[in-house]
Amino acid sequence: MGKEELRKELLKQLHEGVVEFEEDTVKEAAQRVLDEGLNAYDAVMNGLASGMVEVGELYDQHEYFVPELLMCADALYAGLDILKPYIRLEDLGDKPKGQVVIGTVQGDVHDIGKNIIKMMFEVAGFTVHDLGRDVPLENFVEEQLKTDSEIVALSAMMTTTMMGMEKVIKMIKEKNPNVAIMLGGAPVTSDTADLFGADGYAESAGNAVQEAIKMIGRLREMQKK
Amino acid sequence: MSNMTPKMRVKDFFDREKVDQMPCFSGMGTITVQAIEKMKARFAKIHTSAELMAGAAITTAEMFGFDGVVVPYDMCTVPEALGRGASFYEDAEGILYPTVPSKWANLDEVDLPESFDTLFENGRMPVVDDAIGIVKKYNDGELAVGSWVLGPFTMAGQMIELDVLLKGLRKDKERVEAFLSKMTDLIIAVARHYQGLGVDYMNIREMGSGADIISPRMWKTLIKPNLEKVFASLDSPKILHICGSTDLIIEMMNDCGADAVSVDQKNNVVESRKKLGEDAMILGNFDPYGTLVEMDAADVVAVIKQCIDDGVDAVWPGCDIWPDVKKENMEAYTQTVREYGR
Repeated sequence: MGKEELRKELLKQLHEGVVEFEEDTVKEAAQRVLDEGLNAYDAVMNGLASGMVEVGELYDQHEYFVPELLMCADALYAGLDILKPYIRLEDLGDKPKGQVVIGTVQGDVHDIGKNIIKMMFEVAGFTVHDLGRDVPLENFVEEQLKTDSEIVALSAMMTTTMMGMEKVIKMIKEKNPNVAIMLGGAPVTSDTADLFGADGYAESAGNAVQEAIKMIGRLREMQKK
Repeated sequence: MSNMTPKMRVKDFFDREKVDQMPCFSGMGTITVQAIEKMKARFAKIHTSAELMAGAAITTAEMFGFDGVVVPYDMCTVPEALGRGASFYEDAEGILYPTVPSKWANLDEVDLPESFDTLFENGRMPVVDDAIGIVKKYNDGELAVGSWVLGPFTMAGQMIELDVLLKGLRKDKERVEAFLSKMTDLIIAVARHYQGLGVDYMNIREMGSGADIISPRMWKTLIKPNLEKVFASLDSPKILHICGSTDLIIEMMNDCGADAVSVDQKNNVVESRKKLGEDAMILGNFDPYGTLVEMDAADVVAVIKQCIDDGVDAVWPGCDIWPDVKKENMEAYTQTVREYGR
């Protein structure tokens, strides 16, 4: 098998392993990518991430639901864990991608949407500082200052905790107006994001997945250009 | 009929008797900051005191003219009584509902008692019991008293990490089924306990099982049988509430044995009515946050009228009312139910 043929075969295995949530298949294919001296970033973007784009389509078509999405995400992570240490700096555009602080705001213990957004950032080569869930608001400010992250991504699954986001945005923007703030979660709308002074938003756990997958899709398009 | 008390109105409504006006009530938390401020209390404190818990419900009902009161307000009372703890955020600004801080990390860690007989002595369970006693006695029992408990699947998600539970539905089906069966016994024990205390209606909130989370096929095989068992064990009136996407499962919801189904704003009630027929009791379905917190009061009237025009039997919010409502929006909501729901 020629090198290009082998590459295509392994990308297919990674893609299908994610779609079929076959962690072992993904791990084996990822290891072979390394063993054969193929490009790890290519394998992430055109194997794992492209598989996740199909997963998003299956979710849109009501073929897949959240349990399936979570298992696909596990399969993606199984491959990412193997490949990520071998991604070269030049693959990411000559400089490391930015840093992001991510977490679910205080009072909210739902973190499925947050974890999928985190995966999207990791796939894209960002350094992610995950504060977890039920995070006191001031911790976001402290972590952003400590790491000098360019992005802070806040998640709230419940209306009742969404209001905390506004306070965090205010606190962060006061200290560093250049930080981009992303909001996500079921109760968050574009109007809320505007009202709170955020720079972007993802609509719901389900939509967060779709948004994340769309972003992965856009990254892949950009990479092809 | 014009002298109906709020309690009679709710009772006759569920009995499908003629009522003087559509009852204005809910099966979920219905308390407001206006009531809490009037009591000179703090939201974080009302979950741990029977007097404050009951007081917040009664004061809200009196301020806005609700026919019923509902206790408790948070989803942690049962997990807390089973040793999972509760975070009350007493030092945090604003309103934060209690959450469960220490869920089981996986199915191996699950440690449930053989019987739930002593459950009601633990944690805040006695506080809830006392609160039910207080609201029942208020004004010679004038108000209808409702209570709720999470459904088996949603309760399971309060006790164990949600991603473990959701993935387990596919990867570890047998053990998840056994866990859900145990949760079903728990829900029956709690709901029957509240019915034994004399609540006037019981709402089972299986809110984490909408079709935006799990497939209708999975709902049929893993959620429905447990809900059927719950409703077969309860007296009427009993309601099944699910929020989120319910259009694909509304017929199965209606087949679980509840007297009524309650849905949120994502449900197409016009279509649900066609599917379920005129005999089905549908409750819903406005967005409580959007309508009562964000919207201008003038626009609230149209939202409530739309619910009635679409075919709900009584207007219920799609979830707990978020306490920080606008007073004038609450007034527009209750007044429209009264006037347009005649």
